[in-house]
Amino acid sequence: MLGTLTLLFNLSLRNIVRYRRRNFFLFAAIAVAVGGTTLSNSLIRGWQVDMLETAVSGLSGHIKMQAPGFADDPSLQRAFSASTNVVLDDQLPVAGIAKRINLPAVISSERETRGVAMIGIDPADEAISLYRDFEVSGETLAGPDDGRLLIGKALAETLQTKIGRRVVMIVEGADGKSRERGYRIAGVFDSPTNWPEEALVFTGLQALQDTLATVGLDNPITELSVVLVSDEDRPSAAEKLRDQHPQLVVKDWRQMQPQIAEIVDVVDATMVIWFILIMSALTFGLVNTLIATVMQRTQELGMLRALGMNKQLLLIQVVMECVGIMVVGVIAGLMLGVLLVFGLGEGIDLSAFSESAEAFGMSTFLKPVLTVEDLLLFGGLSMLVGLFASFFPARRALKISPLMAMNR
Amino acid sequence: MSDNTASDTPVVYCQDVQRIYQQESVPVYALRGANLTITAGEFVSLAGPSGSGKSTLLNVIGGLDGFDAGEVTVGGTSLGALNASELAQMRLEKVGFVFQAYNLIPVLSARENVEFILQLQGVSSQERQERANSALQSLGLGDLGDRRPGELSGGQQQRVAIARAIVTEPVLLLADEPTANLDSKTTSELLEVLQQLNQQQGMTIVTATHDPIVMSYTSRQVAMMDGEIHQDSAMAS
Ligand SMILES: Nc1ncnc2c1ncn2[C@@H]1O[C@H](COP(=O)(O)OP(=O)(O)OP(=O)(O)O)[C@@H](O)[C@H]1O
Ligand SMILES: [Mg+2]
Repeated sequence: MLGTLTLLFNLSLRNIVRYRRRNFFLFAAIAVAVGGTTLSNSLIRGWQVDMLETAVSGLSGHIKMQAPGFADDPSLQRAFSASTNVVLDDQLPVAGIAKRINLPAVISSERETRGVAMIGIDPADEAISLYRDFEVSGETLAGPDDGRLLIGKALAETLQTKIGRRVVMIVEGADGKSRERGYRIAGVFDSPTNWPEEALVFTGLQALQDTLATVGLDNPITELSVVLVSDEDRPSAAEKLRDQHPQLVVKDWRQMQPQIAEIVDVVDATMVIWFILIMSALTFGLVNTLIATVMQRTQELGMLRALGMNKQLLLIQVVMECVGIMVVGVIAGLMLGVLLVFGLGEGIDLSAFSESAEAFGMSTFLKPVLTVEDLLLFGGLSMLVGLFASFFPARRALKISPLMAMNR
Repeated sequence: MSDNTASDTPVVYCQDVQRIYQQESVPVYALRGANLTITAGEFVSLAGPSGSGKSTLLNVIGGLDGFDAGEVTVGGTSLGALNASELAQMRLEKVGFVFQAYNLIPVLSARENVEFILQLQGVSSQERQERANSALQSLGLGDLGDRRPGELSGGQQQRVAIARAIVTEPVLLLADEPTANLDSKTTSELLEVLQQLNQQQGMTIVTATHDPIVMSYTSRQVAMMDGEIHQDSAMAS
């Protein structure tokens, strides 16, 4: 039996070579379709990864803990102690934890006044948030006790102020009264997306705590943001944190940004649907050519039947030929796709469309992401399509009787 | 499958064989009661006008086509009761075929074409090579084994087809107009090959033909007309 299969395999291979001209076009069509979808899907995947990263790095982290009621009425009276322990086991590795005070504030220069979020941070903790992507001119915050400000470039332009100048911030203190205080601008940051530049103002956490006085809490903060190594660990990590801190509200980024969560979910389905659409268009051409290959050889295949080859063996031969063409085309296509993705390198600059891009939670650079899982998925799906397409020529081949070997 | 090839059993036995095709629901009588008995070692030509049923009779005997009435036995095996895959097995084991055209697998070399059928029979690689080489040798094709059919002349191709047909040592060799595409010189050469095969190895051969030259090489001439045996040199004598 193995000998017979080797024989049929050999025969199929040689027949593929025999019709190399026609098969070349078939290979090319398959390769371009598979390569093109690999590329476009890697961009979609890249978009998804980018959105997820943006969602997580935008201060929320994978999981954020706040005191009850803070979301509706953000004030220092709803703070909790930074001594709160976050304990997760080894199975749920943590990339980092950031403790912040994040309060609505008003910033004024001599010329303009704006509403912003005043965020007290320990700069050392912020490697997990969008803070790490800032390009700062002037000086960065030196540490949690640095009482100067870091403001966005867009905000600096609006306020018509610059590095080294003073601005006034009004924030509500722990006692419910507004504190008005002058600050010096240490540096101005440039962010890949625009909104942090307009809406966020950073200062040292400890310095801010000192300014606002406390609520009888040791080291008060309003939020604790946890970034995990993998998004897959998020549900179990959130569960654990909820058990550990029943007095706090534990939310993950999907709850905080439900629209983005929905888009991220839709992307997986979109990729498969897109791939299937392209492949079905291809299948028509494939089926056509494969049927022609069989019809053209009716007498030859009839001769094989006449010699005593049974139907099953004839069927195996035809299917092997079709799948063989598919395998070569798909492998070429995947390689083409990988080449295209590498050719794209750093990605596509979307800054020309940046406003609409940002509306979708994207950064202005689209970087393709190619995963082994995706490649295997496309490869596997293509093989299924090939098997499906071979059904039609195979059915045709089954109708070939030994009598068709005769020259009538 | 009984395999009775004792010398008194005919290689081919046809009794009142009928084959009726439905052509747009009009019955066409391709065979209307053909009777023919062929014993081992005969070289038989089937002649007759176009449409007289020569090919149909050969196809029925070779198990390529079914029949609607009568009895057909080949090498002691009655074909009427066999299903499609049993017929395929019967062809593989008992009958060698040479067709008018499209005899060979174009992507295989002459030797591979001959070996192919042995491979279907499950013969070991060592034995395959030996048998294929000696079959090619006996047909004067020793040097051409590595060529593909496209690189061979029509006469050479037909000889490869004969080599393939006899390499399995069938009880019967069927050839439907094997010389129809050949010029007269090549036709004579091929007929000599068939004649030698018949005379030296005792191969039983049945060939359908239009060509009077073919009949001059055969040991028995049968003429068909309207789906029946019309004349038979064996009966006449
Ligand atoms: N598959 C078929 N369907 C319908 N009619 C057929 C079929 N095969 C053969 N016939 C008819 O049966 C009759 C006998 O055909 P057959 O091919 O046996 O003749 P033949 O003697 O071989 O003719 P030729 O010398 O032209 O080859 C013819 O009338 C033919 O049209
Ligand atoms: Mg005929």
